[in-house]
Amino acid sequence: MLDAQEWIGQRRLAYMPLVLTADEFPPVDTLLVSGAVRTDEDLYRLRAASKRAGELIAVGTCAISGGVANLGDRDEVRDLFFSAMERRHVPRLLPKLRPVDAIVRVDRYLPGCPPMPHLFMLALFGSPDTRLAASVCIDCGRKKTKERPTQLRGLQEGLPDPGICLINQGYLCIGASTRGGCQAPCTKAGNPCVGCRGPSDSFISRSSDEWFNAIRKVFLRMTDIPSEEIERELHAPHLSLFVFQFADYTVTTRRPEQVL
Amino acid sequence: MPTLTFPLSRIEGHAQIIIKLTAGEVQHATLQATELRGFEYFLQGVPAEQLPIIVARICGVCSTAHHLAAIKALEAIYQVEPPPAAVYIRELLMLGQLIQNQATSLFLFTMPDFPGSEGLPSMFEFGGDDANIARRALEVRRVGTELIGLAGGQFIHPIRAVTGGVSSPLPEDGVRALRERIASVLPLACELFERYWELFQGLHDRIGTLGDDTPSHYLASVEEGHAYYGGNLRVLDPDGVEQASFAPHEYQRYLTEQPVENSYSNATLFNGHVMRANSLARLNLLPRLGTPIADIYMLRFQREWGHPAHAILLFDLARGIELVYCLEKALEMLEHIPDGEIKAPYTPRDGEGCGVVEAPRGPLIHHFNVVNGLVEKARFIIPTQHNILAIEQALMVAARRYVHGDRIDLELERAVGRVVRAFDPCISCATH
Repeated sequence: MLDAQEWIGQRRLAYMPLVLTADEFPPVDTLLVSGAVRTDEDLYRLRAASKRAGELIAVGTCAISGGVANLGDRDEVRDLFFSAMERRHVPRLLPKLRPVDAIVRVDRYLPGCPPMPHLFMLALFGSPDTRLAASVCIDCGRKKTKERPTQLRGLQEGLPDPGICLINQGYLCIGASTRGGCQAPCTKAGNPCVGCRGPSDSFISRSSDEWFNAIRKVFLRMTDIPSEEIERELHAPHLSLFVFQFADYTVTTRRPEQVL
Repeated sequence: MPTLTFPLSRIEGHAQIIIKLTAGEVQHATLQATELRGFEYFLQGVPAEQLPIIVARICGVCSTAHHLAAIKALEAIYQVEPPPAAVYIRELLMLGQLIQNQATSLFLFTMPDFPGSEGLPSMFEFGGDDANIARRALEVRRVGTELIGLAGGQFIHPIRAVTGGVSSPLPEDGVRALRERIASVLPLACELFERYWELFQGLHDRIGTLGDDTPSHYLASVEEGHAYYGGNLRVLDPDGVEQASFAPHEYQRYLTEQPVENSYSNATLFNGHVMRANSLARLNLLPRLGTPIADIYMLRFQREWGHPAHAILLFDLARGIELVYCLEKALEMLEHIPDGEIKAPYTPRDGEGCGVVEAPRGPLIHHFNVVNGLVEKARFIIPTQHNILAIEQALMVAARRYVHGDRIDLELERAVGRVVRAFDPCISCATH
């Protein structure tokens, strides 16, 4: 929000403790919620605010799926964490981190870690039929070659050639099936896409297994890297933060048309 | 025991102030950090090479500092030195982080506290001749964001810096464009800062104090001409004498971390002493900064408040001087981007390592143990933690000033807000 100024004069910022002192939550047309629900206070405030809001937009991976703190839901870590972080007189930690739409109705989703300023503006002022690039690949512009790598390179290993597709160079880049619209800053700077915008429309209402399968097929088509190696690496923590962000269907259905 | 609770706004993250009274006497004043995610716990077992990507997510505001501190800690473990051309780009990245943060703290967080007898709820409420402050402040802030975007490849959670160096050189057209942007924003930043200084003086005249001015220990990882990239940690004692200088991996000999009751944040001490970090600590450690306009402000600051200076609201002015310094320094550095290797080869290995950067709020230390390529232990010593006890001490001073045996001055609520904002704490980082 603060990196985009276009909204000033068009919309009035009614509540945002980060930059504005206000005693209570006012009625609003649009409520942008960032961050996951971690404490009982988060839960209370989210419920109270959503009752006074028109449209509710969940912004960023943490609001959509819980994000990075989900890594703490592994049993061995969780017990340790709860026993060490017992504190008095502070908001109590909930047993499990929850996404916003597990608690209240969400009308639209703005995924991305970070969500880009131009997408914020699109969420606030864009027309509903604005079309974004279908995948990060389309925004990326690196050239695909006939080069077929036989093994994966480490996430930050070596110095990638600036013009050639990162998959051809053996990096585990999942931009082919990640939502476009970010303008591919990561791959342009030589870093594999980690999927922070989540699955593209074709995969968003399917299970994450299908997304994984699609990525595996891309590597089968373009490389000679053993499929098991790809399979294993796709479950790496830095990817799992984002890959699963639309995957929790026990909670709610998130339709492609709700997602920017 | 009567308890006063003040929720905080215009700071990074969630916190509140609790003041406890007995028979009209202030007993305790504490800063409660009320959020937590648990990075030190859930990073256990994560592949070490992914740390620079994951730990950036500790904070959207400070992601650059975390990204680089993690990379430096891994480089210490892998025993690899990034080439000078890569360090140069990382320094630009830190300058972007500082410009963005100092502009935010100055104009979005603290400036609304100054006008009139009560201040304003936000910078969007300035009127009259000041009506365009919000737009101009966001313009200055945006240049910081753009510098992070250029040097880091992404405006939050940057990715260009990688273990061993950087993943690609800076695009030449981007460098040229940003040079022009910074050149055009520098006078705007100075103008805003001058106005800030005026309003600050107005506040000083009105309340007659600049807050807790107890001489203190100061901690920073800086030297003249630095770009917040961090090196040795230096400590100034309350008399202004440098008392210690130590390498990042030696930090445990000097700094101890203790949990704070009723808060999700820990606090750090230097050899058992309360200390301060952030802008004023850096200015107290450096007689001059090394760029022309910033040094004029520095001289004016030292003439008016002395060197070292101790009153806590001076952290705010110090931040303004740093904003100007960082803009000048970035402009100077963008003129001469060096050529040469941008990445050194390395072989990942197990071990223990520490990385330090001078983040906006002070030295940020990342400390990792890697076993079989996985994180066995991750520890984060956060700049805001260095200031927790100093904040509480300053809150006591403010509380005692405005709580009288038979009544409480309504200025108290504004005063405690100003105290906390002077330290610009980042609660998401402090609790991580």
